[in-house]
Amino acid sequence: MATADVPAISRSRATRASLRLAVLMFMADPQWLIPSMIAPVIFGVVAFELFRGAGPYFLTYAILGAGMMSMWGQTLYGSGWAIGQDREFGTLEPTVQSPTPYVYVVLGRVLWNVVSGLMGGGIVYLVVLASAGSPPAVPDPVGFVILFLFVMLTLASVGILFSAAWVYTRYSGFIQNVGEFAFYVGTGCMFPIVLLPFWTNPIGLFFPPTWALDALRYLSIPGYVGFSWGFWPDILGAVVTTLVYVAIAGTIFKRVELHVLAKGNLSDY
Amino acid sequence: MTPIPAIETRGLTRTFESRKGFLFREVTRTEALRGVDLAVAPESIFGLLGPNGAGKTTFVKILSTLLLPTGGKASVLGHDVVDDSAWLRPRIGLVLGGERGLYNRINARDNLRYFADLYGIPTREREARIESVLERVGLTWAADRRVEEYSRGMKQKLHIARGILHRPQVLFLDEPTIGLDPKSARETRKLVRSLVSDGVTIFLTTHYMFEAEELCPEIAVMSKGRIVARDTVAGLRHLVGGDRTLEAEAYGFEDREVATLRALPGVSKIVSEEYGPKTRLTLRLRSLETTPDDVQAALPGHTELSVRERRTSLEDVYLDLVEEEAR
Ligand SMILES: Nc1ncnc2c1ncn2[C@@H]1O[C@H](COP(=O)(O)OP(=O)(O)OP(=O)(O)O)[C@@H](O)[C@H]1O
Ligand SMILES: [Mg+2]
Repeated sequence: MATADVPAISRSRATRASLRLAVLMFMADPQWLIPSMIAPVIFGVVAFELFRGAGPYFLTYAILGAGMMSMWGQTLYGSGWAIGQDREFGTLEPTVQSPTPYVYVVLGRVLWNVVSGLMGGGIVYLVVLASAGSPPAVPDPVGFVILFLFVMLTLASVGILFSAAWVYTRYSGFIQNVGEFAFYVGTGCMFPIVLLPFWTNPIGLFFPPTWALDALRYLSIPGYVGFSWGFWPDILGAVVTTLVYVAIAGTIFKRVELHVLAKGNLSDY
Repeated sequence: MTPIPAIETRGLTRTFESRKGFLFREVTRTEALRGVDLAVAPESIFGLLGPNGAGKTTFVKILSTLLLPTGGKASVLGHDVVDDSAWLRPRIGLVLGGERGLYNRINARDNLRYFADLYGIPTREREARIESVLERVGLTWAADRRVEEYSRGMKQKLHIARGILHRPQVLFLDEPTIGLDPKSARETRKLVRSLVSDGVTIFLTTHYMFEAEELCPEIAVMSKGRIVARDTVAGLRHLVGGDRTLEAEAYGFEDREVATLRALPGVSKIVSEEYGPKTRLTLRLRSLETTPDDVQAALPGHTELSVRERRTSLEDVYLDLVEEEAR
């Protein structure tokens, strides 16, 4: 008789396996070099020119703006794209059929996108640094780094939900594009959201990164006026919205899976 | 039959809805399965035969937890495929085959490593296990090549390697030899047989009657979402017509001649097929009375007539079944 017992599934191992696969796929596909390596350079140059001379902290502005643009591309877009690829390759079926809950596969992909998003952020930093010739003045470097990683976390929480959309349907490119637009405008990654007409503000507030980014600006740009409520409410808003996203992610994959099993569109692409 | 079937379905149905149009949606309903009752004994190979669109893949996907049924019940290893899917998934394997379903840009070994991790195969055993399945499907030599460089047959072998990596108790194979050359197909069948001797229950679908005949002690024929026959190979042969088949080939036959043949004792069915300039009449016989000589004598005046007796193949039975159902 075949083995009666089955090995236990390790979530962290499944997540690592998915991360490893993402790295292997990245290295095997040179087209990724464009969004991950070249786009940050362009964003960096544009942001530098855009903000040049705009106050003493324009370098920080440029780095945050361009960094967010490229990290958005990596973290959010990349996450959805990785799942869309699973559809395209027909690997979504065997993956869902395995005993590992799909959310851990997504987690691995999102982790990789966070890492490559950080690389993009690093490239932006170097480009702006090279353009300016000197590093930006950051009042609280340690706080900056911690908050920066927190911003990544909030981005990842959005990325996971985008992935769920891709599992749900092959038509998620549409959601993704609308989301991308909403993100650029709503979160105020290039310019503070408060400069926008009032009605756009609520859109941004649904995104955890909006709050986190505003907090990051408070921290690193003295005299910054973002949301009138200030630094700590920003942090609170970011934590709460991120928790909501994570909570939704925790339950949504099982529901999405049931939906696709009922529809029978797992292998559509 | 053993008390607990490895696979059991009762009144299983599945309807697909596809939509066309954006604003004014037109819904098309396809009844892929229309009430399937089937029980399969453990530790054997069971074959599901059926023409294109019969519902074989739909059936296999429901049994392997990739699709929910619309109605009815299905269980594998005594566990419900919907309610107990988490229990079942590590214990079953699925090979859908084809060009898709693999990570083409990385090599076979990394494909297998990924799935070994998703199945929680103990880390210490992982590499050895991968080595042994690669060996078993005969891909060791290509293990470090990117899958995109693989031929169709090699991809099929890799699909099977992934399907058996976690040592499932029940393995579903959806058309395992489709698109393979005769040699690879034979190797694959050999592999399938060797799995059963390890105690795996195999459920395979196929279009090829000879394949089912060669591999499967028991067979079911599916047509238009229903099981139209379920038996042993010998039993199926008896099901339609008789046990004997005579073939007469010549440059065309007249209706009068066919009528004469139909009047011979024991003839239950005559099928006519064109073969280029020639016509072949296949006679199904229920008794021993009529011999090839009798047929020869009933068709005088044909210079190029050849009559021979051959074993009734499962193919004959199968075509009768799906034809009858089609009418
Ligand atoms: N996802 C789907 N959406 C809509 N219809 C579907 C879907 N999958 C299958 N069908 C329909 O269900 C019926 C049965 O299909 P299925 O793939 O199960 O047949 P099959 O026996 O495996 O055929 P083949 O031998 O060609 O593989 C067909 O009419 C098919 O068009
Ligand atoms: Mg099929």
